Amino acid sequence: MSATAATSTQDRQKLEMVALSAPAVVFTVAMIAFPVVYTIWLGFQTFSSTGKQSFAGLANYSKLISDYEFWHGLWITIALFVLSLVLQLVFGVWLALVLFHAKRLPGIVRSLFISPFMMPPVVAGMMWLVILDPSLGAANYILQSFGLPPSDWLASPTWVIPTVALIDSWQWTPYVALIVLGGLQSLPPSVYEAAQIDGASPFKTFQRITLPLLLPTIVTAAILRSVDLLRFFDIIYITTQGGPGNASNTLNIYGFRVGFEFFNFGYASALMLTLTAIVFGAVLAFNRLRGAVAW
Amino acid sequence: MKARMLATHVALPVLAIAAATAQAHAADFDWMKFKGKTITFLANNNPVSQALLTYKADFEKLTGMTLKVDGYQEQQMRQRLVTVMNANSDEVDVFMTLPSREGEQFAAAGWYGDLTAMAKNEVAGEYDPNGLSQALLKAATFGGKLTSMPMNIEGPIFYYRTDIFRKCGLEAPKTIKDVEAAAEKIKSCDSTVTPFVSRGLKPAIAYTFSNMLHNVGGSYIANGKSNLCSAKGKEALDTYSRLLRDFGPPGVVNYSFQQISALYRGGRAAMAFESSNELRTVMEGGARLKDTGLLPFPAGDAGQVPTTIGWGMAVSSHSKQPDAAWYFVQWATSPEVQKKMALQGIAPPRPSVAKDPEYRKWIDEEPVRKEWQAALDVLATKGSSEVGYPIVANPQSREFIGQAVQDLILKQKTVDQACADADKALDALIALN
Repeated sequence: MSATAATSTQDRQKLEMVALSAPAVVFTVAMIAFPVVYTIWLGFQTFSSTGKQSFAGLANYSKLISDYEFWHGLWITIALFVLSLVLQLVFGVWLALVLFHAKRLPGIVRSLFISPFMMPPVVAGMMWLVILDPSLGAANYILQSFGLPPSDWLASPTWVIPTVALIDSWQWTPYVALIVLGGLQSLPPSVYEAAQIDGASPFKTFQRITLPLLLPTIVTAAILRSVDLLRFFDIIYITTQGGPGNASNTLNIYGFRVGFEFFNFGYASALMLTLTAIVFGAVLAFNRLRGAVAW
Repeated sequence: MKARMLATHVALPVLAIAAATAQAHAADFDWMKFKGKTITFLANNNPVSQALLTYKADFEKLTGMTLKVDGYQEQQMRQRLVTVMNANSDEVDVFMTLPSREGEQFAAAGWYGDLTAMAKNEVAGEYDPNGLSQALLKAATFGGKLTSMPMNIEGPIFYYRTDIFRKCGLEAPKTIKDVEAAAEKIKSCDSTVTPFVSRGLKPAIAYTFSNMLHNVGGSYIANGKSNLCSAKGKEALDTYSRLLRDFGPPGVVNYSFQQISALYRGGRAAMAFESSNELRTVMEGGARLKDTGLLPFPAGDAGQVPTTIGWGMAVSSHSKQPDAAWYFVQWATSPEVQKKMALQGIAPPRPSVAKDPEYRKWIDEEPVRKEWQAALDVLATKGSSEVGYPIVANPQSREFIGQAVQDLILKQKTVDQACADADKALDALIALN
């Protein structure tokens, strides 16, 4: 076969590959690009209470700056994010270590440990709503049976964020544990053998070997959870709807209400794009951190 | 408001004339006129639609049409509707609506089809549009256009435990002050029960609070301005929040109908101020059947001005087959279907159905049902459908009412601060109207 013929065949194969994959690529790009572009366009529109629409330029974004609910929502979102992420990473690593070392733990117990994150968040929210009901729930019954004072849990402006963070952590800590467990199983045994020979205590081994080697895995888990935590919606919507008052009114809940209850899709889009920018910022920051701790 | 009243005064006589004209058209009426068509019904998955849809097959047999039901919980139903209507889509032909909540808003957005002409020209002989509650038809008329037909009548009513009242030496309360006194007495007489419970969840508060406000003689708007800081407004805010704070269950700020019904049904509340629709839920299991008394909410300085609302069926303005859709609305709100629904505990918006012997027999089976119907009769005759501010942004106004009440329950503000903050926010909303 001549060189020209070979080039021609290669060109045809390339063309076929492009032609065959093009529909999927176009579809995927359209599915991602269209909603984003549409939301950006909506962010420049204003909607009256009756849904009448007009061009607003940057008015929605300048409104954000003076909107108390936006800053309050941002603060609630960040508080919930930090509290939940810390709880989930600390207890996730602990749970992973327990599962890693408890080799004889029956399969059913292991499955139970990691089962909460398989539960739909709506079901988890409903379940905890019943458990934490200050009058009828089991949580206060247990507290009181130990002589402790009852709590208002989700009905207390002070305790609502820690309580929601606890519910989310109950559900998602096993997910973090599963990721960290994978990391633990891939650590090289040789470094542990060397530590053992050097007489390192279990705590020193964990502090100086396990934790540093696990950091890239932990940061990966943090990235995955960060995206979810900054967009936190379902459990709050089920349990408090942003209340009491606006004590759990995260940016996501606020944006949802502005859009779907008050019909101001322009301002809601501006809110959600701002939240998206925050999520991207967090992911980028964690990615850089992952690069720094890689080994 | 004047324009609305004028429009209502024009529209209702038109409907009355329509009833007479309908007799002429009745003979030509053919239920099979739209045979083969498919109607899409966006339904709120509540007891009203559940009772109605029990007879879905009857509609399909009567008309030869297919009824496609798109059912969601209330909030999700509205989200779906907003999406469909904003896209000018004809996916939905008929939808359920609460005129007291979104009526002004949907009417101003042009989402309701105008039913005035159809109620005049396309009615079966037995339909009797004039037999529907005039108060509810009035509440569904915007700018002279009839926008929906009532499916039921409902409102908050006062449930109380007769056995606890007897044990504590109390009479059934006649006034709001009696309710407060009873709560105080029950608190010391029986520490195992919550003396009083009602709605404390922010968006849900306006439903019950409006009754309190109107009973004490308050109003939401005076001279075009929000009126919560008037003496009566403050009295209503103070009394409602004090009842919940001092005599309500812990965590009442998250209470809506589900929690209230569960608490009362479980025997853990002595008084509950909650929707008439909850009767079936409250009586489930039969534990409360013999020890419950029912009343309209006791009187304030302005007497009893109960909140009376009803779900309505509207035809979408984007429907490509509004005439066929109207056939479904007409069937669903006909005396025959509403009687069947009434026998399932859905209070009928037709006085004639409420007087029907079969329905009366059902009512007479239990004393509690008699009291329920008596309370509903008061709602039907004296009721106001004003729940929250009568403005386009009504749903948003409910948020600010709820916020003021919650601030007081949680002791985060004084009455003066709470009403002033609410008035400021509400004045801004009124200005947009």
